[in-house]
Amino acid sequence: MSVITAEHLSKWYGQVIGLNDVTIAVPPGITGLLGPNGAGKSTFMKLITGQLCPSKGTITVLGEPIWRNPCLYHRIGFCPEQNSFYERMTGLEWVEALVRLNGVSQSEANAMARRALEAVDLTDAAGKKIGAYSLGMRQRVKMAQALAHNPELIILDEPLSGMDPLARRKTIRMIKEWGREGRSVLVSSHILHEIESMTANILLINQGRILAEGDVHQIRDLIDEHPHTVYIKAEQPRALAREFLNDAGVLSLTFEDGAVVVQTARPDEFYGRLTDMAASGECGAVYEVTSPDDNLQAVFQYLVK
Amino acid sequence: MPIHDQGYRRYRGTRVPSGRAWWVIARAGVGTMLRRRAFVALLALAWLPFVVRAVQIYAATTLPQASFLAPDANLFRDFLEQQGAFLFFVTVYAGSGLIANDRRTNALQIYLSKPMTRLEYVVGKCAVLASLLLFVTWVPAFMLLLVQIAFSGSLIFLRDNLFLFPAITLFSWLQAVTVTLMMLALSSLSKSSRFVGILYAVLMFFSRALGGIVYAVTRDRRLSWISVPADLSRIGDAIFGLPSRGEASIAVALIAIGVLAVGSVYVLQRRVRGVEVVV
Repeated sequence: MSVITAEHLSKWYGQVIGLNDVTIAVPPGITGLLGPNGAGKSTFMKLITGQLCPSKGTITVLGEPIWRNPCLYHRIGFCPEQNSFYERMTGLEWVEALVRLNGVSQSEANAMARRALEAVDLTDAAGKKIGAYSLGMRQRVKMAQALAHNPELIILDEPLSGMDPLARRKTIRMIKEWGREGRSVLVSSHILHEIESMTANILLINQGRILAEGDVHQIRDLIDEHPHTVYIKAEQPRALAREFLNDAGVLSLTFEDGAVVVQTARPDEFYGRLTDMAASGECGAVYEVTSPDDNLQAVFQYLVK
Repeated sequence: MPIHDQGYRRYRGTRVPSGRAWWVIARAGVGTMLRRRAFVALLALAWLPFVVRAVQIYAATTLPQASFLAPDANLFRDFLEQQGAFLFFVTVYAGSGLIANDRRTNALQIYLSKPMTRLEYVVGKCAVLASLLLFVTWVPAFMLLLVQIAFSGSLIFLRDNLFLFPAITLFSWLQAVTVTLMMLALSSLSKSSRFVGILYAVLMFFSRALGGIVYAVTRDRRLSWISVPADLSRIGDAIFGLPSRGEASIAVALIAIGVLAVGSVYVLQRRVRGVEVVV
């Protein structure tokens, strides 16, 4: 049985189309929703989580219509992309307050929030104010609130954006663990290799339409023909750049304010090396790793043609 | 050897029946406000008139020389009128950020992806402000009535003024609900609680000033309904059976407050959404 079913699903914002006649069935397990910025991923996510009403077509989640069906949220956990919080609350207070909306008692909510924070490796920071959290910690506390009430389906909108390499590795491991436990996870990203490291099952979306669905490896073959751009914000970007110069896969290096932007022909090797360097700390701390989606855009253009 | 399933299992614990998420929102909101020392000081200050009035009642019932201070129905109406200043400050302090802060932090998107309807969210937020407002109007006025009974040692005053119980309740609740709906509607329009506070103050003072100017220019009392505080005051006088000190007729004042409440609900219905769609 599919966890999400959409039939001729469309969403317009006035004259602008966000999603165009999408018909899909998302199977249980981990599914990656992949597309460049502005492709319609967030619109699709908002329709799946019942925050937008479809302009046309139908959508069912876990066998029930999601629109105006708040009881279904007991079975769904949603981690949105935005990163704003009540900065004065501690992580534990925030997650506990949200868990309470699921109708559980105060003590039960506290226990669930603690378990969820432990699962995302935030036990030590549970009592700290969210204002003092790093970008990666904020992502993880958002995931904790999505996970805390033990949902069957977890929907994650760009969960890895802004995380450092170690946090990414941990998060990917955690998502895979959820999949192994028997939960279903829908995770969106505009970076193919992130999705690839979690699942082989993907939905490719561009300009509001589903371009392809199924096995990631076929897409991967296409994307390897294009250089991959990585933006790294670090304590010592020049020291990192020196190390990257020895890498045969690196095609170009440019510096931005406190960051180095690398183009590589071998993203897998590059990310592996970057994670090792971040773990060893030999080139200082790595604060943020992001990847613009220009190479993915090239693949989409290829698919559209 | 039995092998236990380590896979995912649904939560099987007890849950409160749906429809009660508003209570969680209300409790959290009141708790947040009561953790602020400045706000607690404001609440304490709002009870000072109660202490003064209680002393007045005590003096009137125990000292023959102070019998001219003996309470009547007017005392309770005047007391609620005086509390209007605290009603204003508590509304601005506690109400301006109620929805604006959630909009600023995008909390609505997360709240509304939980088993909670928009109605429950709004009711919860209303309950936060209304309960705090009732704490500075209805509760002390009611306590004052009990103080009068306790100090006089008889039920004669109560018997003669039995209408005071429903009058205090009706007027306090009408004030609290009207002001709460108006403030929440304003709060839903912005992401800045400061802006909302200023907007509310401007609307209250401006509507009163405008009502006065219109009267000064036209000498026509029919347009005095423009002032929201005057409308509430007029309705208060009618509820307590006192001659009107306001300028609008009771029917017009009721219609004005009704339209304000319906307008506020409409704004809330339009603005409280998990996702803001800009077309």
